[in-house]
Amino acid sequence: MDAVTGWWDDYFWGSMIVLQVFFFSLLLMVLFGLIGAAAKLSDNRLAQKIAGAYTVIFRGTPEILVILLLYFGSAITLTAIAQMFDPDIKFIDVPPMWAGTIAIALIVGSYATETFRGAFLGVKPGSIEAARALGMSNLQTFIYIRIPEMWRLALPPFGNHMLSLIKDTALISIIGLNETFFVAKQAIGTTGEPFTMYIVVGCIYLAFSTIITLSVMGMEKFGARTGEGAR
Amino acid sequence: MSFDLSLITESIPKMLAGIGITFQLMFLSAVLGLILAVILLLMRISGKWYLSWPAQVHIYIFRGTPILVQIFIIYYGLPQFEFIRDSVFWPILREPFGCAVLALTLNTGAYVSEILRGGVLGVDRGVLEAGSALGLSARQKFIYLTTPIATRLALPAYSNDFISLMKATSLASTITLLDMTGIARTIVAQTFAPYEVFISLAIIYMILTWIIQKSFGRIEKYLSRYVNP
Amino acid sequence: MKFPLLKSLAVGAVALFAAGSVSAETLRVGMECTYAPFNYRTADGELAGYDVDVAKGVAEIIGADLEFVCQQWDGMIPALLANKFDLIVASMSITDTRKEKIDFSGPYRDSVGRLIGKADADWKLFDDSGAPIAENFNGLRVGLERASTYENWFNAKLPGAEIVLYDGSEPLYLDLQNGRVDMIMTNPMKAQLRFLSKEAGNKFGFVSPAISEVEFFGIGVGIGLRQGQDELRERLSAAIRDLINNGSLKEYALKIFPFQIHNDEWGKG
Repeated sequence: MDAVTGWWDDYFWGSMIVLQVFFFSLLLMVLFGLIGAAAKLSDNRLAQKIAGAYTVIFRGTPEILVILLLYFGSAITLTAIAQMFDPDIKFIDVPPMWAGTIAIALIVGSYATETFRGAFLGVKPGSIEAARALGMSNLQTFIYIRIPEMWRLALPPFGNHMLSLIKDTALISIIGLNETFFVAKQAIGTTGEPFTMYIVVGCIYLAFSTIITLSVMGMEKFGARTGEGAR
Repeated sequence: MSFDLSLITESIPKMLAGIGITFQLMFLSAVLGLILAVILLLMRISGKWYLSWPAQVHIYIFRGTPILVQIFIIYYGLPQFEFIRDSVFWPILREPFGCAVLALTLNTGAYVSEILRGGVLGVDRGVLEAGSALGLSARQKFIYLTTPIATRLALPAYSNDFISLMKATSLASTITLLDMTGIARTIVAQTFAPYEVFISLAIIYMILTWIIQKSFGRIEKYLSRYVNP
Repeated sequence: MKFPLLKSLAVGAVALFAAGSVSAETLRVGMECTYAPFNYRTADGELAGYDVDVAKGVAEIIGADLEFVCQQWDGMIPALLANKFDLIVASMSITDTRKEKIDFSGPYRDSVGRLIGKADADWKLFDDSGAPIAENFNGLRVGLERASTYENWFNAKLPGAEIVLYDGSEPLYLDLQNGRVDMIMTNPMKAQLRFLSKEAGNKFGFVSPAISEVEFFGIGVGIGLRQGQDELRERLSAAIRDLINNGSLKEYALKIFPFQIHNDEWGKG
């Protein structure tokens, strides 16, 4: 275990990076999931097709591949897009942290699209009718009726999505992000004790996933406080 | 950006050469994982703490840590110990294939056991009560009533896990296995053309996913043939 | 309805991520960060090693600031071409295959390969002139780092050998110890320092002569950069020559090895 001394602070900073990636990709994942679900539920056939393609592509491709593609391809695509607006820009680059964050947000977002879609479909039609009867606008119905009800239904699978997010951060080490797994690889270079180093990484991730699971359980209890279920 | 189509047509056959390893990893881990999952499930619902608790610990650890870390611990970490290298398991653990199968089995076993448990919990109590009324023992109820219904309920979630398993096989490339992803990375390293190679690889995986989804759809239809809509 | 919003979001996002065009003052350097003693991270979180010293020395001479980026070896050149960084200072050998895609500065370190295996193995792998005997390699497993010059040499000379490809260099030593591979081919200086001279390595030794065929290993390792930047390349090469001539390069080497690892001839531009 003494091999780890001296590396604790590196592991700490690596964990901070994991948290940073987690929070940003969480926000993006919810965004992508909501947009995707809305597109699938809308009447617009083009939106449905695009959302359908989104889920097929990102559920069907291994995560490691999406990360590598976004990392190498991002510069080329973004530069091309940017040059449409401002021909003087030589190149745009996306640093590994953002390439990785966006990649895993896109991946888990495609699963979240299905989860949110199912949850939206589970909102009681009676509540929507009541909202109409009260004269609420579409936006008001969405914010005050649909989202709270849908959220309770989506919570258990959403908890799984959050777990997937935090575990996928380990894959971003492949493109050089200095999170805990990469720290371990560098530490092994100097200490030569792979088992110890990787176990530390495992424990750190276990701690994170435990916190997430407990939070989700707490949120489920909070959401179920009225005792109502789906009909 | 020049899109080198000839590179794509050259690389696809090379990558498909790795599909054998991908399939072997997938099916072997799926079968072993399913067996492990059933064992874990029975331990979980046994009601005896000395069976239920180890199962829960296994599930907790393997669902709570990234699979890449699990693979690395098994492949690079275990040989650090003398007793592993002298043990009877060494011929398996020595090979990257063996380590990959072990890691994938332990991982998918944990996930699938939870999926099966969800299926078991979803069986209508009325059916089980009817079974008791007919005089079936607990064991008979489990085999003839719970299992068929739970299987049908668990199938959608299981198909998702099966697809995840297929995608996880690509991680075996990080421990020197030349599956499709491993071959792709070698091609990229020699040609310096990541875009073309990785996009073709992604398309191959998407086709595989589509095939798996269709197959599971068929199985679901078949199992639900007596269920009223 | 959605599209103007998306468009402005896209421009905003692009502006957020834009690094703009690189000014001559800041150069981003790509390296493996797990290749001790040439480029690696110490427990304090600092990058250290021969390559790091060379990069800093060159930067001081040409008056640029440096930013270090860690990159897995097999993606090093693709990443350079994708603009992830501007220079490769990662013990990358100057070879003709690589020169097709990128440019190199003048060399700053010798480039050589050697096979390492069990010290008591009695394979006769090389004949007296130093050429490999292909048949004797049959059935032996060789560990190599993907995209390395060692892999290229093996693929060209001994295509029949059973090659196992690794993503980095440290796993090579781990698996050699574990018996997963019978031998590895890597940089002998690194092997001597980090492995053979330590307790873990005392059952192992060199099982081949030093191999330095220019076709595969080039004349040495140099700084890699994208093509079309001749002015920068000249500045880098001139800086390296200065480092050779003022003794700095020797100093960097002596920090790690009891000998210098470059050829003084290179100082005469």
